[in-house]
Amino acid sequence: MPGFDFSNHNRNAALHAQGVPLPKATSTGTTIVGCIYDGGVVIAADTRATSGPIVADKNCEKLHYISPHIWCAGAGTAADTEFTTALISSNLELHALSTGRKPRVVTVMTMLKQHLFRYQGHIGAYLVVAGCDPTGSHLFTVHAHGSTDKLPYVTMGSGSLAAMSVFETQWKSGMSRDEAVKLTSDAILAGIFNDLGSGSNVDVCVITQDKTTLMRNYITPNTREHKQRNYRFPRGTTAVLNQKIITRAEISKYVTVHEVEDVAAAAEKMDVDQ
Amino acid sequence: MDTLVAQYSRPAFQNEGYTEEEQQDISQITPPLSLKFALPPISQPSSWLRAMTDDYSNPNCPIKIAHGTTTLAFRFQGGIIVATDSRATAGNWIASQTVKKVIEINNCLLGTMAGGAADCQYWLAYLGMQCRLHELRHKRRISVAAASKILANLVYSYKGMGLSMGTMCAGVTPQEGPALYYIDSDGTRLAGNLFCVGSGQTFAYGVLDAEYKYELSEEDALELGRRSILAATHRDAYSGGFINLYHVKEDGWVKHGFSDTNPIFWKTKLEKGEFSNVTSELV
Amino acid sequence: MGSVFAAAPLDNSLSYSFSQAPNAAASGIREHSFYPYTDNGGSTLGISGADFTILAGDTRSTSGYNINTRYAPKLFKIGGEGPEGTGARIVLSVVGFAADGDALKERLDTIVKMYKYQHGKPMSVAACAQRLSHILYNKRFFPYYVHAILGGLDEEGKGALYSYDPVGSYEREQCRAAGAAASLIMPFLDNQVNFKNQYIPGSGEGHALEQRVPAPLPQKVVEELVVDSFTSSTERHIEVGDGLQMMIITKEGVRETYTELKRD
Repeated sequence: MPGFDFSNHNRNAALHAQGVPLPKATSTGTTIVGCIYDGGVVIAADTRATSGPIVADKNCEKLHYISPHIWCAGAGTAADTEFTTALISSNLELHALSTGRKPRVVTVMTMLKQHLFRYQGHIGAYLVVAGCDPTGSHLFTVHAHGSTDKLPYVTMGSGSLAAMSVFETQWKSGMSRDEAVKLTSDAILAGIFNDLGSGSNVDVCVITQDKTTLMRNYITPNTREHKQRNYRFPRGTTAVLNQKIITRAEISKYVTVHEVEDVAAAAEKMDVDQ
Repeated sequence: MDTLVAQYSRPAFQNEGYTEEEQQDISQITPPLSLKFALPPISQPSSWLRAMTDDYSNPNCPIKIAHGTTTLAFRFQGGIIVATDSRATAGNWIASQTVKKVIEINNCLLGTMAGGAADCQYWLAYLGMQCRLHELRHKRRISVAAASKILANLVYSYKGMGLSMGTMCAGVTPQEGPALYYIDSDGTRLAGNLFCVGSGQTFAYGVLDAEYKYELSEEDALELGRRSILAATHRDAYSGGFINLYHVKEDGWVKHGFSDTNPIFWKTKLEKGEFSNVTSELV
Repeated sequence: MGSVFAAAPLDNSLSYSFSQAPNAAASGIREHSFYPYTDNGGSTLGISGADFTILAGDTRSTSGYNINTRYAPKLFKIGGEGPEGTGARIVLSVVGFAADGDALKERLDTIVKMYKYQHGKPMSVAACAQRLSHILYNKRFFPYYVHAILGGLDEEGKGALYSYDPVGSYEREQCRAAGAAASLIMPFLDNQVNFKNQYIPGSGEGHALEQRVPAPLPQKVVEELVVDSFTSSTERHIEVGDGLQMMIITKEGVRETYTELKRD
């Protein structure tokens, strides 16, 4: 059965009525922008994810893949943007296979708005959809309640006003690729520095008819500083009352242990900052 | 109608800058302990204050006032034992682990602190002032009964305004012998042999009631006070830190340390075999 | 089939928030329209040493997701002469609602100055600390929305640090962090200043292991701890950043420093 499971809804509503606040979802208080130029379209995003006033992830990816020539920037509830774009991406692939044509940006936009409208805003996904298809380059915004816009330059998220101020002062029609990349990244930087919900780095994605270029961490203006002191504790600093050594033979009782030849290649490299 | 009267009876510019009275306050040499308090310019100050500061009725209130405690005091043949923990909490946050919850009103009177930390600190300091004035006026020390009544009458006059305190006054005077009173912000004032106050009171009562005798030796009484607080810090999340122990005698109080609960806990467990539910065994 | 969707919460009778618990259970009339406070974010911290006290605060002022200004000091010299506060020996730091903080600073500053003019000697830190407590408590029923920390040198020349709750309960301490990132900084300070959860390696087995005994830290170490506290909380708290203002109180007087922090 597809769709959401609402079986805990009544319980949660009752708990909430008794004064229990709901758990906090990680929301990407965000700056995302998009801009059309001659020959393609650019979207960009910051990389900060917050949970209340705490930075949950300093370098998260807010540019999502929909199809090779259609990408999407997401703001709002992190999980909702992630899963909505993944769902639409999947459905779009099936749609492309059954029609035998390249997917169109309007199709994505329509699928997204129909999906989101059905949930009346409970799915907190605010998206910028951009891409190139046989009908040209397109740029849309989709709001959580299902409304959409089609504009030459767009901004969304908590830093949308800061970013829009850059567009409104510097945008002109008929820009080149480099000009468009500069303009969108400047708009994101405005969000990073002037909106508390946005921060860290700039991700940019340039889409043209024949090529998509994702520039992850295109600008990194907020690298972490070195600490003044060394916080390495001498061994034995932590009190230990008891210890138990679990051998591999014992572990095998609970899980299946496999030998992996090339550890570095097998394990996905952890995403850490410099 | 009342709100209309309230609205027009105070000019809007009244709060701008310092009033003459306030200017006097600032330059006065006399201590600023006073009964004049600023009030918000609205018709229901107490419910407003509750909305702003009461983290029990509103867990998301903007101003979190330090709370949470276990305090105890009991009378025995050798005087009065007063013991407290030292934790202050503001919501779920441990604001401090080193609070002095026994307030030395003067060299033979002690007060304890439970509820709002600022309320207790301020009003017990005020009580100390009144006790000193009593000494100067009457050329003898105030009785514990009188001192506790000053406090009880005072908090009763603020009833419903949002004060929060549960305090014990302990002292030994020639006319009364060892005397112990419980006073809270509802206006309750009780004389008694044994009290525990605060969020951890039930845990402390559990140990104290089981072992308490009036004939306790001084050493045993101190140990019982310590052990009762330890039990409370072990089971009550809002109590912890250090154990503050006092012994009040006829010629004044004696401090018996401000000691970390953690080593005391392990000592109690290992040497006496208590707290056997706690183990460091790994399954 | 379809049962999952049939139970969907499409009525608007129940709308609940992620951040706020409902207030329906509380009794009595409430004034909802009167909300005179704003949280201006930021953080402060103070550490006292053998012959010095350091107070520090970031200089960002926020409201919601906006930055009001990148340079709004949270540290104020108390009882000094002129706009520079020349000759001051006491420093007050306030975090919370900036307007209340300003009002509080003005009040305390006036009082300390009046004391000096009337008595012909500067106010001691202990006296100033108690007076500050009373100023805060005088607004017990309409509190200043601030967490204050007061620093100076006591009568023996040792570093003195007092911390306050919004209604004036106060305590002398070795170190204290307040404000938005207090929950990030305070555990770090407990560990690095008071050596909480640190034991001396090899001093014993099991329960015989000895705790590391806290001792006053040298000034340089404290300055480094302060800088690290703020660079770290800038990384993880959105309301902390822009600049770090530090005031170092020694017998020579108050030295003020300013260093840049990340601005994102």
